[in-house]
Amino acid sequence: MKRYVRPLAAWLLTAVAALAIAACGGSSSSSSSSSAATSSAAASSGGSSSGPINVVVGTAPDSLDPGFGYTTQAAEADWLSYTGLTTYAHANGQAGGQVIPGLATALPTVSADGKTYTATLRPGLHYSNGAAVKASDFAYTIERSSKIPWGGAGQFYGGTIVGAADYAAGKAKSISGIKADDATGKITIHLIAPYGAFDNVLAFPSSGLVPSGTPMKNMPNSPPPGVGPYKITNVVANQSFQVVKNSHWTPIPGIPSGFSDISVKISSNVSSNALAVLQNSADVFDWADTIPGSLLPQIQSQASSRYSKKVMNSTYYVFMNTKTKPFSSQLAREAVVTGLDQRAMSRLGSGTLIPGCFFLPPQMIGHPTGQCPYGNPANGGDLAKAKQLVKQSGMAGTPVTVWSETRTPRQQWMTYYTQFLNQIGFKASQKVIADATYFPTIGSLKLNPQTGFADWNQDFPNPIDFYLLVQGSAIQQTNNQNFGQVNDPHVNSTSAKLGATPGSKLASIAGQWQALDSYLAQKAYIGVFGYQTFPAFTSTRIDLSSAIFHGLYGWDWSSLKLK
Amino acid sequence: MATTSASGTEFSGEIPVSSEGVGEIPPGIGPWQLAWRRLRRNKTALFFGGLFLLIVVLCMLAPVYSHQIAHAGPADGFPDKQIHVGGTTEYVLGVTGIPIGPTWHSRFFLGADGSGRDVAVRLLYGGRNSLEIGAIATIITMILGVLLGVVAGYLRGFSDGVIRFGLDVLWAFPAVLLGVSLGVSIAVGGLGPIKGNSLYVPALVIGIVYIPYVARPVRGQVLGLREREFVDAARQQGLSHSRIMLFEILPNLASTIVVFMPLILANAILLEAGLSYLGAGVQPPNASWGTMISDGINSIPAAFHNVLVPGIMLVLTVMSINVFGDGLRDALDPRAKVRIAH
Repeated sequence: MKRYVRPLAAWLLTAVAALAIAACGGSSSSSSSSSAATSSAAASSGGSSSGPINVVVGTAPDSLDPGFGYTTQAAEADWLSYTGLTTYAHANGQAGGQVIPGLATALPTVSADGKTYTATLRPGLHYSNGAAVKASDFAYTIERSSKIPWGGAGQFYGGTIVGAADYAAGKAKSISGIKADDATGKITIHLIAPYGAFDNVLAFPSSGLVPSGTPMKNMPNSPPPGVGPYKITNVVANQSFQVVKNSHWTPIPGIPSGFSDISVKISSNVSSNALAVLQNSADVFDWADTIPGSLLPQIQSQASSRYSKKVMNSTYYVFMNTKTKPFSSQLAREAVVTGLDQRAMSRLGSGTLIPGCFFLPPQMIGHPTGQCPYGNPANGGDLAKAKQLVKQSGMAGTPVTVWSETRTPRQQWMTYYTQFLNQIGFKASQKVIADATYFPTIGSLKLNPQTGFADWNQDFPNPIDFYLLVQGSAIQQTNNQNFGQVNDPHVNSTSAKLGATPGSKLASIAGQWQALDSYLAQKAYIGVFGYQTFPAFTSTRIDLSSAIFHGLYGWDWSSLKLK
Repeated sequence: MATTSASGTEFSGEIPVSSEGVGEIPPGIGPWQLAWRRLRRNKTALFFGGLFLLIVVLCMLAPVYSHQIAHAGPADGFPDKQIHVGGTTEYVLGVTGIPIGPTWHSRFFLGADGSGRDVAVRLLYGGRNSLEIGAIATIITMILGVLLGVVAGYLRGFSDGVIRFGLDVLWAFPAVLLGVSLGVSIAVGGLGPIKGNSLYVPALVIGIVYIPYVARPVRGQVLGLREREFVDAARQQGLSHSRIMLFEILPNLASTIVVFMPLILANAILLEAGLSYLGAGVQPPNASWGTMISDGINSIPAAFHNVLVPGIMLVLTVMSINVFGDGLRDALDPRAKVRIAH
């Protein structure tokens, strides 16, 4: 009998330990994410009409603080929670690019010289914490976004508003170009020079008002109060957050109050995300993710009524650091553009890429109609010529670090790109970093990244938005978006000049934008490898009759409701 | 008979000691010969030992297979290439990115992965990397674990306190969590001369993580050995501490070390696969079975082979090491003689 005592005791101990672990696990998960439990319960009920809408995203937002966030995942939530003086129409496709009054009573009036914008704040507005909104909060908001800094701050604030650059550099205590009167709600903004897309600048979530006194630092896990039909709560870094109805919201014409709360779950496994939506255990697949090709046939056959491809203005490219070897050499950059096989890149991306060589995407005014300067990308790359160009450049054998995200297919694209660089004569190695920290990491000027993945989805339908990425004035120490540090005087002056044209008159200067974009392609400053099409994929629970797929922000969460 | 319980470890509950006091040993047969006799009788252990050897040999031949048969390197992707299989021409990756399945021919014998790379080539190179990392990690763990365990157990006092505290700190972290933390932090910036994407990074991390799993039971065994008569005799003869540890204590730990090695190796390979799956181990484009499973997850269900093939190899390897290791333990454990006698 004695010989059985020890094994028996061991088994009993194991069982007790297992029970204890299970109990601990259960209590921790239920206490930490009651919302998730609610969500999954609602989701598992299939056709239930109650509960929040469950969105699954493959990448965490870079920050949910509007003063920092600049990725699509951040913008989706922020534009509903942080309304600016202007905002965008809640409409499908490109119609959503129309600027409408937000917290201002009307669109700002512009002086005859185009340098002074005047707007009046609507009365009776409150933040999501109940505090009253003041006109001076606008100045504070722009100062905060400039100081943190938001990725577009250098270009859209520092480059346009009088005194904003000095403030960001610490040379002034406030932005001299912004005057606000709390008594009347009048806000006056003085620009350095006319800027045709300034109404769009005011519509950025980063321009969405936050209370004066909000800490001048990025607050990704506890975003500040804002004014909007929704507010962001329960942020668990890199795991989940919720976008819930704001009880302090005062309805504004053109801005719907929304139907349902949104529960967002972050999971880098896009395959399981897509399967979850297919099986109705989640409701919305993030449009900025790519559905793996292995699942596409299944989705197309089983869920054709709730899956479609959307074309938005977006460009996918590899940035090349023009300040550092080897891509300081134009010949080395030309080698990349000449040799990179876009057909291969398209296959790696589940066939979602449209080939092209110009920075401005096809649906954007200013997209060139001429031939690509270094061969037709639809025919694949010219590897032999690329090798020859690398030899000519004298950069053969130069070590290159290729920066990459982890998510599919971006990592696969960069793995292939690394292999390609090695084939044409460089000594390339790949550096893969977490999705959530990728852009802030490569946006550090101190890191000085050589090359890697980048993409741009339009902030607003104006070519000047894309040229943020190649203007010298946009280069900033942190959160830099001009990853290649392109600083070409011709690009700077021409884009600044064309940027002064109001959005309503863009068609009249389309030819000039085309010429500039052709010049950019000729200089091979960036290696475009295609224009992305995006998946619009939902569960059967979503009422698609009212759902809006916005031209700038993808799914308009305020339009989503359960059947 | 002093057997020291290794309570609290993931490994074997009993640590074998030297064959001292084994009365039933036939005259003229030493303990190692006896162990070999026992091992030869354990056909299952020998079969799995052979299987492990076969896997090692296959993985070592990866460059030969890559150059002479598959004509592709482990990092070479062919997403836009067409190959001829059974009279038809197929793209390595379909238009929607679905990789080609096993062709059972020299090229893409086990199909392609989501990046258009040859799975068979990556499987062999991945095995090479996994085994290499496992072996280096095992060596690091065994050397440092035994060294710390012997010093702490023999010297006791202050040295024991410091070493035990350090081991307890390491022990307090779950192995995977500690491995991920160390792996990610070292992978970003490297460690001295070791680059962030070097295979030595996961090897070093795993080697460090498992030190307490060896050092603690060794220390426990040394605590018993240091009180034995032969150690007293050595002290009386005026031998220094280091000589006693090296020439008196260490030889008596030989069977323990031999038993621990396969166990550590199997666990190191498993942990490497886990870390690589989580992105904290082998860095792309290097292959390992863990990274292959991670890469293959997004190909399910259309290309299930991308996960299945490295998964099977991982299971076979770890199982073969474990079964062989169990056989080795039985052979070295003096209590096993009872079973032999029966």
